Amino acid sequence: MNRKIRVIIARLGLDAHWRGSVVVARALRDAGLEVIYLGNQMPEAIVRAAVEEDPDAVGLSSLSGNHMVLAPMVLEGLRREGLENTPVVLGGTVPPEDEAILKKKGVAGVFGPGSSLREIVEFVSRCAEEADEVEPDVSGRTAGEAADAGRSKEQPTEEEGKVL
Amino acid sequence: MSDHHSSKDRTGLYREEALAEIQESLARWGRDYPRERERLDKFTTLSGLTLSPLYTPASNARIDYRRDLGFPGQEPFTRGVYQTMYRGRTWTQRQLGGYGPPEETNKRYRFLLAAGAGGVNGVFDYPTLRGYDSNDPEAFADAGRGGVAVDTLEDMQTLFEGIPIDRISVSLVTCQPICNISIQSMYFAMAKARGLSLHDLAGTSQNDFLMETAVSIAPRVSPPRVAFKLSCDAIEFCARYAKRWNPVSFAGYNYREAGCNAWQEVALVMANALACIEEMLRRGLRIDDFAPRLSFFFSAHSDFFEEVCKYRAARRLWSRLIQERFRPENPRSGALRFHVQTAGVALTAQQPLNNIARAAYHAMSAALGGAQSVHVDGFDEALCTPTELASLTALRTQQILQLETRITHTIDPLAGSFFVEHLTEEMEKHIARLIDEIDGRGGVVKAVEEGWVHRIISDSAYEYQQAVESGEMPLVGVNCHRMEEEPYRPEIFAVPETLAVQEAKLRRIRAERDSGRAWQALDDIRRCAERDGNLMEVIVEAVKARVSEGEISKVLKDFYGTWNPPLF
Repeated sequence: MNRKIRVIIARLGLDAHWRGSVVVARALRDAGLEVIYLGNQMPEAIVRAAVEEDPDAVGLSSLSGNHMVLAPMVLEGLRREGLENTPVVLGGTVPPEDEAILKKKGVAGVFGPGSSLREIVEFVSRCAEEADEVEPDVSGRTAGEAADAGRSKEQPTEEEGKVL
Repeated sequence: MSDHHSSKDRTGLYREEALAEIQESLARWGRDYPRERERLDKFTTLSGLTLSPLYTPASNARIDYRRDLGFPGQEPFTRGVYQTMYRGRTWTQRQLGGYGPPEETNKRYRFLLAAGAGGVNGVFDYPTLRGYDSNDPEAFADAGRGGVAVDTLEDMQTLFEGIPIDRISVSLVTCQPICNISIQSMYFAMAKARGLSLHDLAGTSQNDFLMETAVSIAPRVSPPRVAFKLSCDAIEFCARYAKRWNPVSFAGYNYREAGCNAWQEVALVMANALACIEEMLRRGLRIDDFAPRLSFFFSAHSDFFEEVCKYRAARRLWSRLIQERFRPENPRSGALRFHVQTAGVALTAQQPLNNIARAAYHAMSAALGGAQSVHVDGFDEALCTPTELASLTALRTQQILQLETRITHTIDPLAGSFFVEHLTEEMEKHIARLIDEIDGRGGVVKAVEEGWVHRIISDSAYEYQQAVESGEMPLVGVNCHRMEEEPYRPEIFAVPETLAVQEAKLRRIRAERDSGRAWQALDDIRRCAERDGNLMEVIVEAVKARVSEGEISKVLKDFYGTWNPPLF
């Protein structure tokens, strides 16, 4: 990648927990990534920011328990905009059962309480670089086509990706 | 008899000669103290104060008993705000509760009261705290999460159904003034409908403008000056019409949870309280009309002694600040009363039962620091809203502390410890210095507007996480004593269905209510804002017309506009 890795960080819905998202955002910035911090947002606004800013990854934070409703809406919105290649990483209080479901729906990684900042930074950087390798400009395809071509059977269908 | 009254005015703890001798012996002892045999390069408190290997009378040489410590119930209140403290009445066991629709939370309140809890501590869900109705497009995903959903007066009546609010004290964790102005009004309207006088109600609402603008920040909140005004409207209203109600609880706990260290927590709380006092005086109240009802809310974090000393220092400094700046006639105006919640941020998702031990130590520091009421966190705090079992265990932790340990049998038992008195002084100095800095920046409202408060909180949060990351701050189960397999997986609390329940109620109420009256009520609020009147006086009446919190907030947001705080 010739430019800095660009990451959008947002807190889902009205969740009031601020600390985790801010600390992770600072760690990413200190590691040389470019961070766009949106604060609390609904999925639509997060997707709109992704369309405008073309990030290499989207980080979502939720400690309120709204992750099962809103994280899939973000995935769906990104897919609708042809941005399904943009990895989505979720941080917060996510029970293991939910984590499994969300990963199946397409969340690239889930980081719960006690996660190390170093691991998060490494994971986000790696995800962003991997996603970059299948960027469309190599073949001239659109991001959506590239993603369709690269989509394995395990990845969620539109139907599964719907809001719970 | 020795000459320990060398000066009539001074009540130093030790004779000058004794101190000199101790200094000298200490120096000798220190000369061959083997630093190289110590475990760590540096021993510090959690907030970063360097600690000596040993404290002695020499560490307390400047302390004057009468001036700095005094007696419980007397200025400067270092040893406690009441004469009898826990020998008279132990702290109130006030366990937080709130989730789902009000019908469900009402059951939890009844359960906790039946199990011996001394008061209700009601927390509201995210939409309510931000001034939204449950079914708002911004809010629907969070309805019933993190607290109970309250949209209208009817919800408030359901929430307290069968609970004797004339006999127990109730804390409303309304957090943000935009929420408080409606929710506290609904509570008062509910009490009036029961035939109670507002002057008879005992309780507290949180109503802290920093909660809206600097902690748990989000885009499109009330501008700092507006949030501050809304908070002050409630304080003024209570000073006139609900004299036993604590109209604000400066939420240091939440500042700490967001990242502050111990003295930042207290300094921000005090700067906030000082600003409120000045505003009340400007509105024509006298200091003694409202200052005794200002209440405070602190965290109990993991550094046991730092926390005990923080509470003692806070009491002493508050008394001094009030005396120096406002000269009250009633000494109670400078008596700092506080609620404590054990630090959620100190709890771990890993090996969650360990949190029972952590929270018990936290609660003990609150008790030894003289708290008026305490909430102990559930062991599942880092995972979900507490289950009934986690809530019950937390309540039992308090009961064990009160009934079995006997730490309640004498007042301020750690006083006079060379270390405790020294650290109390250090904490006071650090808090006072930061208050001076905030004063120098033009006060707390300006410091929020300029983003300075956000910056210090975020810097401290980042430093804290770096210390966990490096292992410098040991956290059992996270950066040491980890386990591959969790030995115990607690049940995860499932929030009961809320959105559909609340939506149905809102639809029914809107169909049933007298629309003309509802629109008139909202218009009254708008007109009150236009003439810069006290909004609570109007909203307490308006909620009777069955207007919702979301409708009221919309009027306020349309009139005052919104603000995007510096996010990061």
